[in-house]
Amino acid sequence: MSSDGIDGVVVSGNCCSKKCDKIIIDTDPGIDDSIAILMAFQSPELDVLGLTTVFGNVSTENATRNALLLCEIAGRPDVPVAEGSSEPLKRGKPRIADFVHGSNGLGNISLDPPKSEKCDKSAPEFLVDKVSEFPGEVSILALGPLTNIALAIKRDSSFASKVKRIVILGGAFFALGNVNPAAEANIYGDPEAADVVFTSGANIDVVGINITTQVKLTDTDLEELRKSNGRHAQLLCDMCKFYRDWHVKSDGVYGIFLHDPVSFVALVRPDLFTFKKGVVRVETQGICVGLTIMDQGLKK
Amino acid sequence: MEEPKKIIIDTDPGVDDAMAIFVALQSPEVEVIGLTTIYGNVYTTLATRNALHLVSLSLSLNYIVFSFWEIAVEMLDLMGAAVRSSDTSLEIAGRTDIPVAEGSHVTITVCTKLRIADFVHGTDGLGNQNFPPPKGAPIKQSAAEFLVKQTNLYPGKVTVVALGPLTNIALAIQSDPEFVKNVGQIVLLGGAFSVNGNVNPAAEANIFGDPDAADIVFTSGADILAIGINVTHQVVLTDADQDKLAESSGKLAQYMCKILDVYFSYHHDAYSTKGVYLHDPTTVLAAVDPSLITYVEGAVRVQTVGITRGLTLFYNKQKRFAEVTEWSDKPSVKVAVTVNAPEVVKLVMERLMNS
Repeated sequence: MSSDGIDGVVVSGNCCSKKCDKIIIDTDPGIDDSIAILMAFQSPELDVLGLTTVFGNVSTENATRNALLLCEIAGRPDVPVAEGSSEPLKRGKPRIADFVHGSNGLGNISLDPPKSEKCDKSAPEFLVDKVSEFPGEVSILALGPLTNIALAIKRDSSFASKVKRIVILGGAFFALGNVNPAAEANIYGDPEAADVVFTSGANIDVVGINITTQVKLTDTDLEELRKSNGRHAQLLCDMCKFYRDWHVKSDGVYGIFLHDPVSFVALVRPDLFTFKKGVVRVETQGICVGLTIMDQGLKK
Repeated sequence: MEEPKKIIIDTDPGVDDAMAIFVALQSPEVEVIGLTTIYGNVYTTLATRNALHLVSLSLSLNYIVFSFWEIAVEMLDLMGAAVRSSDTSLEIAGRTDIPVAEGSHVTITVCTKLRIADFVHGTDGLGNQNFPPPKGAPIKQSAAEFLVKQTNLYPGKVTVVALGPLTNIALAIQSDPEFVKNVGQIVLLGGAFSVNGNVNPAAEANIFGDPDAADIVFTSGADILAIGINVTHQVVLTDADQDKLAESSGKLAQYMCKILDVYFSYHHDAYSTKGVYLHDPTTVLAAVDPSLITYVEGAVRVQTVGITRGLTLFYNKQKRFAEVTEWSDKPSVKVAVTVNAPEVVKLVMERLMNS
């Protein structure tokens, strides 16, 4: 891959003592979402403006509960959690990947319900408001189906130009999907929304599973994490057990893929990635619904 | 030497089809037992006309090459020592007339709105040379009938080399349940596996020409080897190679040089390449000598609707999905992944120049 495609302003994560990078995480936690969210809260260079929730790994309702819990676990109950759409733009009841993340989305470990409450705004409202408040300053890390982002784009025609950058975990570029051979789960969750977002003109970096499946935490890594004194290490290792067992069954991988954490790293350390630039469309019909296709521009 | 492999070429000539047909006719490893025609580079009617033209041209060239045999026969004839049949000269050349069976004029879903790539091959399909009409005529059988009959006649022995949209092959599959068992192998030029297409970013031209037919063929259970543009784009005939063809005294090399100009200009404009892709000749040579390519096996489905209509999606059957998919339980086919490109170009050059 060539690296000619990084567009927009790349802000290195360690040089902003004055001014923190503002981010909103759109998420469906989710075990690997939990890792990414806790990583974000551990990053002093970031100002997490809020979490917005969506269906995917869990229902939107459970995603909101888990997002609130994670903020509390991180010691940040002040961070607003705005609940998003409970279903995709057009397809009715969503597919929930509880077989990957457990029925509670957090590997079926028992946790007390959160004390804090979601904010009054819906996720699209929250996204539009924050991006309008700080035009050109807010980055969005999108870790689930793209329904909320599409609704924000539809709600405010200037949203796409005002958002600083959207880093999306989604798609399978010239690689097999993970829902079926054609489609990756986040895009499959709301293909119409994904096509709206990809064609919106916003500054978008996409991290597909062709990238994230290159990054694994092996059983040995997980064991090392468990033995560490890391603040959230025990909790995350407990959560990861269910997720890890599914990887053995599905991919013969003794460990876990770090889909969401890798996407988070792409937000703060884009220098660790190379990019290709081109138009991406999403198929919304037929057996390949949810397939992401990128024009590499090889032909006039 | 082994008995030559019987092949039927399903074709939409087409500049690179012409080259592929010549290469096949010049390959002692195979015996071309017929051509079937299809729309694609041109409409089917013109494909039939061009197929007849190319066959008669090739045969007449062989006639010249072997004409001294004919003289010998004539002498024997004059001496009354032999009774000469009307086509002895062709039999001496090792060939009798090669039948051309006309194929479908419409897609398998009877769609008449066809995409014809005359901007790649010239309006006549053969580089705008205005050749005179051929003398021969197509046989009475349709392409699908011919495919069914011949594979039934030589079960397991006939390789079908499909160089255009797959309508005729799908019709053969639908008309006779035995066809997929009787056909030896179907070597097809089609698809873009893990790369962008050439009609649009999703689709390759032959599959795009009739996606429904392609899906029928890929899921039929026949022994299929697909050569996609991910492979044929590795096989480039350069401007320098064309110069070499021009300098050669080979009759087919001379002929090809004349018709290649349009094809070269298209490639210069569309791809900014200094050369042309040898899609069809690569596919023929993969049938002639399978060791020229390597392949993987798995299920292939074709998207038949939407913005990615014509996209070919290969599943290697390694990953286990949580749910039943449209690829589950579909028969495996072979999909080419690498090609010995220098050897393919060398063989094409040799077989055109030694004609």
